[in-house]
Amino acid sequence: MLIDTNVNLGPWPFAPLPELAAPQLAARLGTAGIRRALVSPLAAVFLPDPMPANAKLFAAIRRTPALLPVPVLNPALANWREQLDRCRAAAPIRAVKLFPNYHNYRLTARRLDDFMAAIARAGLRLIVNVRLEDERHRYFALKIKGVPVKDIARFLRRFPGQHVFLAGLYRPELKQLAADHKNFSADIAFCEWAETVKDLLTVMPARRLMLGTNTPLLSTRAQADKLRLAQLPARTKALIGTENARRFFNF
Amino acid sequence: MRIIDVHTHPVLFKQGRKPAEVRRLIAHGRRLGIVHMIALGDVLLYGAQPNEAQLRLMNDENARLAREHPDYFTAFVYLNPLLGERAVMTEAERCAARPGFRGIKLEIANNAAHPCMRHIAKAARTFNLVVLQHSWSTTNIKDRKHQSDPVDTALFARRHPDVKIIMAHLTGVGFRGVLEAKDLPNLWVDTSGGYPEEGLIEYAVEHLGPDRVLYGSDLPIRENSVTIGRILGANLPAATKQKLLYGNTARLLNLKLA
Repeated sequence: MLIDTNVNLGPWPFAPLPELAAPQLAARLGTAGIRRALVSPLAAVFLPDPMPANAKLFAAIRRTPALLPVPVLNPALANWREQLDRCRAAAPIRAVKLFPNYHNYRLTARRLDDFMAAIARAGLRLIVNVRLEDERHRYFALKIKGVPVKDIARFLRRFPGQHVFLAGLYRPELKQLAADHKNFSADIAFCEWAETVKDLLTVMPARRLMLGTNTPLLSTRAQADKLRLAQLPARTKALIGTENARRFFNF
Repeated sequence: MRIIDVHTHPVLFKQGRKPAEVRRLIAHGRRLGIVHMIALGDVLLYGAQPNEAQLRLMNDENARLAREHPDYFTAFVYLNPLLGERAVMTEAERCAARPGFRGIKLEIANNAAHPCMRHIAKAARTFNLVVLQHSWSTTNIKDRKHQSDPVDTALFARRHPDVKIIMAHLTGVGFRGVLEAKDLPNLWVDTSGGYPEEGLIEYAVEHLGPDRVLYGSDLPIRENSVTIGRILGANLPAATKQKLLYGNTARLLNLKLA
């Protein structure tokens, strides 16, 4: 049984992806051996206020227990406390997700001090989405880049007591951050090299890596096979594929 | 499924050349069902513009792989078209005379629309070699002088309809690249390059048909389990997947594998 830490639901305007309802998404994940997934609303990426997308997500996956909601918050908006409160009231959540590069703020912004304190008080995990797609292939008029590593590094230094989850790091970015920071875990969605996971384990302990597929933008089967077919001890694969997520997100 | 990987760099920046490393790679490939690899060479070792001596060194390394493991590696000769007709023909002839060479590999010495590509077409015709052209959409990465946009690779194919050409990197050339290749029967696309973007394999088969899409990984820059899983997970009939993974490359390169 695998747990996927990086899944989205909803439309994506830049590729002809199948429009999956929640049960279909769960079924697709299931064909790759993924039995539970943390799911965020893709529509929140482009909306001026993420809450309508979060509301849709809560409603869409309510009857699909394999999918666990991770709402998207935008701390650059004046109502971020209200966003947080409404999401906590809407469903039992374990984490919230940020898209700094899509929502036009930096991780170095001072306003994140209060936000991080509120997240900690609520007992929630924070997921920072570094990227959704390979910047080389994005829509020509979309000039959004991944969250800068130097911003992430400053963020991790600023909140040493909080362990953050980073989704969508490139392999060199992960290696760079791993050299200096221990207060983050990461998914493997945008890390790839021959024997990826074995390569990552040279710089990062298994307990801080987790499966993430970036479904539906990337192929679920291909991404799951990165871990499933890796030449690693079963115990290591179990940590990365299931147990770390279960522990970190408190399933 | 039996698999042929049409796009590999078993040796990259001199890594992977030791006998133990080669044996390990072969074991790794076989474990995933890869029965044969097309070795394209250590093409970035001397930068974008290798000279004749550097090309010979890289091609000798590739020839060694094909000689020592003929059942597992077929080689392509790496050429720099900007060196001119004499250099191109000399190196192509030197390598084509060796066992195990079936194609020409082109990287980023020049854009595929450059007039110097006529030398490559001549070598391909003369020595019966397939051409694999590095290609990537320049919409975002720019550097059109060295990078070949799918428009450029398609133009090369259009100028030389009797030469069989592989447009490398399906993910890099994207949906636009598929459409550039659509009406060119002498142009194939390999599935290497980039992350396993959803829907692109199906789109390529829809527009190019099941016979002009070839499985490739770009190993070691990419992971075979991912690049294979992308095809196995695609919404395609099993027979089509088998063509992509094996049959199309075997036929294009006339490989007779046990």
